[in-house]
Amino acid sequence: MIPDDAVERLLDSAQKIGNSCETLGIEQWEVFATQGYGHSLDFEAGKISMASGGGDGGFGLRVVEEGRYGYAHLVDPSGADRAVHEAISIARKSPAISGFELPANQETSKVGGMLDKQILNLGPEDLLEQGDIVLEKVVELDKRAIAVGGGIGIGASAGAIVTSSGIEDGGIQTSHGIGIHVSIDEDDELTSSYEGDSSRKLIKDITKSVEKAVHWSQVTRNKIPGGETSDCPVLLTSDAFSPLFSMVAPPALSGERMARNESFWSGKMGEIVIADHLSLKNDGRMEGGSSSGSRDGEGIPTQTRNLVENGRLLGENWSTRDAAKMVAEGRVDKAKSTGSASRSGHTSPPICGCSDLSLLSRNNQHSRDRLIEEMNDGYIIHSVMGAHTANPTSGDFSVTTSTILRVESGELVGALSQAGFSGNMAKALAGRVVLGNTISKKGSYTSGTMHVPDVLMFDELRVNPA
Amino acid sequence: MVVASPSISTTNLETGRLLDKDKITKSLDIATSLGADYAEIRLVSETTNIASLKDGHLEKAIPGQEIGATLRILADGAWGVHSTSDISSIVSQIEPTLRLAKAVANRRVKNQLRVELADVPIIQDEIHWLGKKDVRDTDLDTRIEMMTAIDSEARDDSKIVSTMTGWSDEHIHTELLTSEGMDRVWSFQRSLINGMVTARDGDGVVSYRMRHGGEGGLEIIEKCDLGQMGIQARESALRLLNAERVPSGKMPLVADRDLTGVYIHEALGHPCEADLVQAGDSCLEGKLGQKIGSDICTVVDDPTMRGGYGCYPIDDEGVDTRPKNLIINGVLNEYLNHRETAQRFDLEPNGGARAQDGLHHPLVRMSNTVIQGGNHKDLDELIEDIQFGIYACGSRGGQVDTGRGSFQFAAQEAWLIENGNLTRPVKDVSISGMTLQILKDVDGLTRDAKLGSPGFCGKGQTVPVGDGGPLMRIKTALVG
Repeated sequence: MIPDDAVERLLDSAQKIGNSCETLGIEQWEVFATQGYGHSLDFEAGKISMASGGGDGGFGLRVVEEGRYGYAHLVDPSGADRAVHEAISIARKSPAISGFELPANQETSKVGGMLDKQILNLGPEDLLEQGDIVLEKVVELDKRAIAVGGGIGIGASAGAIVTSSGIEDGGIQTSHGIGIHVSIDEDDELTSSYEGDSSRKLIKDITKSVEKAVHWSQVTRNKIPGGETSDCPVLLTSDAFSPLFSMVAPPALSGERMARNESFWSGKMGEIVIADHLSLKNDGRMEGGSSSGSRDGEGIPTQTRNLVENGRLLGENWSTRDAAKMVAEGRVDKAKSTGSASRSGHTSPPICGCSDLSLLSRNNQHSRDRLIEEMNDGYIIHSVMGAHTANPTSGDFSVTTSTILRVESGELVGALSQAGFSGNMAKALAGRVVLGNTISKKGSYTSGTMHVPDVLMFDELRVNPA
Repeated sequence: MVVASPSISTTNLETGRLLDKDKITKSLDIATSLGADYAEIRLVSETTNIASLKDGHLEKAIPGQEIGATLRILADGAWGVHSTSDISSIVSQIEPTLRLAKAVANRRVKNQLRVELADVPIIQDEIHWLGKKDVRDTDLDTRIEMMTAIDSEARDDSKIVSTMTGWSDEHIHTELLTSEGMDRVWSFQRSLINGMVTARDGDGVVSYRMRHGGEGGLEIIEKCDLGQMGIQARESALRLLNAERVPSGKMPLVADRDLTGVYIHEALGHPCEADLVQAGDSCLEGKLGQKIGSDICTVVDDPTMRGGYGCYPIDDEGVDTRPKNLIINGVLNEYLNHRETAQRFDLEPNGGARAQDGLHHPLVRMSNTVIQGGNHKDLDELIEDIQFGIYACGSRGGQVDTGRGSFQFAAQEAWLIENGNLTRPVKDVSISGMTLQILKDVDGLTRDAKLGSPGFCGKGQTVPVGDGGPLMRIKTALVG
């Protein structure tokens, strides 16, 4: 799927762009290069509707001169001189940040599990066979069910970074993912569920997502009346919790946002900010982690840190530039990179974010059935619409769900057709919280990858049935 | 592999065309001789500029040039697709992509339909919509000056703890060559300016976002009163600091132009996309010609509405654009379609195919979606009969489940309506409902329908869109 010498070719081209910088007298430069290849297929109306493949990539160039930086991106390295001129002319119009320099090289060790050679050896025909298995499984589980959307993809991506300060590194990462949207449309009632899974390794059982999608399409049928608006306990499955959590937690942990009073945890370093049995572990070195690697987006070795430990806020995330800027502006006394710069591709400069972020508890964690007993009266929510409208500054959210089950006296009593669901995530996590015993990896969000269990929360939440 | 990509030839740069027409045409002919029903190569070259200020200082400015091409082959009634940023390699992918299409076709079972394409006029031409002030001539100082005009007003209060303003402009050049003889080249530009202010008072922290833009060059931004935009953002953020949490429940809702636009985009526009109808994932399947909304609902999706952020001169299958009347007086009149779905539903192709860029294949997408004006004079007339309800303004986005027909959208700020008057500000307002119910509950529209703030629509691919309308009243909405 990917040429054997892909990394070497990227490193070579990146060095040539660096040489252009040096020819023009630019002392500090950084070239970030990516090249991805992949195959995918789409499902539609119970069949494979399309198969596709391809590759793309490019180069991002960052130059720094006297604390000022400029950025440009390009696809064809023969256009390096133009990009270098653009980047340096922008740098010269930018404000100087005292003390800002591109990072020096530091030794680090490789993080394992980033590459699965089985994926490299897969071709489009293999993917089509996986598609057949998925579609057969949908029908096998429920003859009424149909795969209305989703798809399967495999990919391999080469990445490299070369800098004037001696950083020169690169590697290949693989990925395998499935998304499946199943619906059951019978007796004038349509229920559906979208489930997905992704991994750096070949997913052993690609039908697990199908089982979940069919299950949730089945259990949300036969609606019961909605009832009254209530402030009540809610059990969010990891699928419902992760999109809301990912909208508010990673921004709140940004050092820059904390310094600028843009985080609901600003000024609370060292204080208890969430329930005192909960911890937030940010791991940039998780084996096979979707947001992990040996170096961050600007070449600094990654770290594993507890940002919140037993409810107490202990750390924050910094990139090199954010740290220098906040110190220069006098917003903080000292700050330095925590290896938390991430890249969303070659077209953007590094930004500060979480890596593989886990929500953990030192208390006992429970099965979903036990959590339902613990809740007694309330709701289970499995998916939400509009998580992206949550307010990362305040933690407030107000979303909608069509995958919601009513629980009374610790027993499931039925599904609601639709409900509003609102509250404040920061306050809810600071109240009474019980975690489930199975952690799931959820997506690869731009703010990091979330590793979260089912979460039962008792406070600061409101359900508003339609 | 981009590192192997040769430079674009000087000859091609002189003609303004990046694809070698003769070479591509021969390759597409080979595809059909090998059994393809249809083959196309679409190239998109984008010249982009992004910039932002943070607290009034330049945070970043990123010029970029990206290029990508997508080969689509239809064979035995199934699609194979190959996308690459290495333009020189695309011809070599004809045979593998043809094999891929045939492999997909071989999996089709008896009752599954073949993909076929509706006939369209085969055109050879060039259309270029250049901005009056070409984005490629705009310098960084001008961009900074424009952003500063917003920023300096937006942060003029001690409770405003930070400001961020952003800029994006792009020149998009597309070339399409098909095995049917289509040979079209088109280009157009978009410009956008936006901002966000964050206000804090003790533990209370809120943010407010604003956005202005459209199809065209610098003149689009120059038309906007940027200082006023900054003032409004500051005032809204300060108001939100003191706003109460919105009461939850079912109640009358009046939406401003931005929210009306998001509502019509999410609730109606997406279920009208014929590829979702074809997939079995739309609540509007089989409802063409049926009454689905109140008499006052007339909705148009119009890519020819020059200046709208969702404009484009030609769709990404080379089909001429035109306004699409989705609903006329409450009756579902038309789906948005592309050539495949037009053939599937026996409809006239209406130019609804859009791809995010040269590396993606076209899907059925909206452009500028607007609900037409009604008979109410103004906001006062819309709210005078409401005893208790919500007036919601500004969009924080929305989402829809097209199959179930449920949707959600969120407002930036809102007021309580009590006894026909706007009273207290409230926050955290989201509205949800079911498409087939709430379209019938629209019972009041002001006369002045216009596009609201520009937006972006995600459907696996992200494309710019415009949407809007007049002020709209809904009898009963679920407010949370």
